[in-house]
Amino acid sequence: MDIERRIIAREWRLVMARPGDILKPMWFLLVVISLIPLALSPESSLLAEIGPALIWVATLLAILLNMESLFKDDFIDGVLEQWTFWPRPFAWCLAIKLLTHWLFQIVPLILITPVVGLMLAIEVHVIVVLLVTLLVATPALTCFSGLGGALTLGATRSSVLGVLVMLPLFVPVVILAAGVITRATDGAAVGPLMALLAAFSLAAGLFIPIAIAAAIRLNIGGST
Amino acid sequence: MAWQWFHQWGSPRWFYERAERWQFWAGWIALVLLVLGTVWGLAIAPVDYQQGHSYRIIYLHVPVAFLAQALYLGMAVAAVVLLVWRMKLADIAIQALAVVGCAFCVLALVSGAIWGKPTWGTYWVWDARLTSMLILAFLYLGIIGLRSAFIDPELAGKACAILALVGAINLPIIKYSVEWWNTLHQPASLKLTERPAMPASMWVPLLLNICAYYAAAVYLLFASMRTLVLRRERRAQWVQALVRAHD
Repeated sequence: MDIERRIIAREWRLVMARPGDILKPMWFLLVVISLIPLALSPESSLLAEIGPALIWVATLLAILLNMESLFKDDFIDGVLEQWTFWPRPFAWCLAIKLLTHWLFQIVPLILITPVVGLMLAIEVHVIVVLLVTLLVATPALTCFSGLGGALTLGATRSSVLGVLVMLPLFVPVVILAAGVITRATDGAAVGPLMALLAAFSLAAGLFIPIAIAAAIRLNIGGST
Repeated sequence: MAWQWFHQWGSPRWFYERAERWQFWAGWIALVLLVLGTVWGLAIAPVDYQQGHSYRIIYLHVPVAFLAQALYLGMAVAAVVLLVWRMKLADIAIQALAVVGCAFCVLALVSGAIWGKPTWGTYWVWDARLTSMLILAFLYLGIIGLRSAFIDPELAGKACAILALVGAINLPIIKYSVEWWNTLHQPASLKLTERPAMPASMWVPLLLNICAYYAAAVYLLFASMRTLVLRRERRAQWVQALVRAHD
């Protein structure tokens, strides 16, 4: 467990070194959600109806915001290259890093959704379901955004490219999460769909790190 | 013996020379079948009792929609070949397939929109098949875009291969989730497992056109792959000799 602990401790130190990085996606989410009533209408019934979908899309984009930085710094200072020599599979190290990233950066972001939910006049029991869908689905989103970051590591013009490349792959997550929320609004059972969402997250957590490892290895072998 | 056959594909020159003939035949087969199927479909096939003449766009729409999906599958196969055997030609195939597949996908979307207006009364509805086709177009665009962001072609090729593979694994999930989300589109016109619901005078030209578009895709694919081979191998002696011979 020593190696795993070292990766987690390192991530924690990095987060603590620049706590502002955690606030940036939250800020983004707040600003985007605040613009909606201004652009649409302050009518609370309308806002409550489309609110969950808006929060979902805004959270999605907020997660994608730090896609590029996810692996870039570690790649440039050589940490990722070192991990390839560690006595653990490279993909495993990356999975730990993604999990830590999710825990330290994405979960705080999700925890402010009740606040923006109330701003959009969404009912409390729907907010709870929304929160759970986000918690269950964001591991998959983190994995995909990591893959986007890893694929564009060696790219020269990559600013929004990774986002554009990855967004279509998010479709199943968005559809399932929206299904769960619609059912919760109608008062129907959400268990089976939530299970599907969790299954997607687990499958992504299992396989995407392998693809990320392959994508990072390309850059380690080639460009140096 | 079998391995020797496989290794030939590792040589861009061998492919360039052989594919010239394949491209020639694919082009002619495509042309003949296309004329036959299209004339039959547009002029001879009976009028649909519900949709009138507007259904005839099926002879364009169904083949290109078929191919848009088949070419993505082909791209995923090429991606496996590239990542496992590091075959240069597979990289070129991915590059060519992405462009050709994207073109077919856009054509399917546009022809579907034109068909949708008289049939459904609107150019676009958020229906399952339309949406998954749109997502497919985005996936194609993603691969084309990813390649254009790299300077090093080898790195670009492998990154695209990984993306194509992840996309191909995700594609069935996308398709099923979208289908579950909304279904309005008429069911598939042709299925391999069932006899088609339309009369032979309607589906035979459709089948001809599907074959024609397959041949046309092969033609386009080989044409662009051969061009890409020349460009990648521009420093090789055989390419320079070829260029000098043309001058």
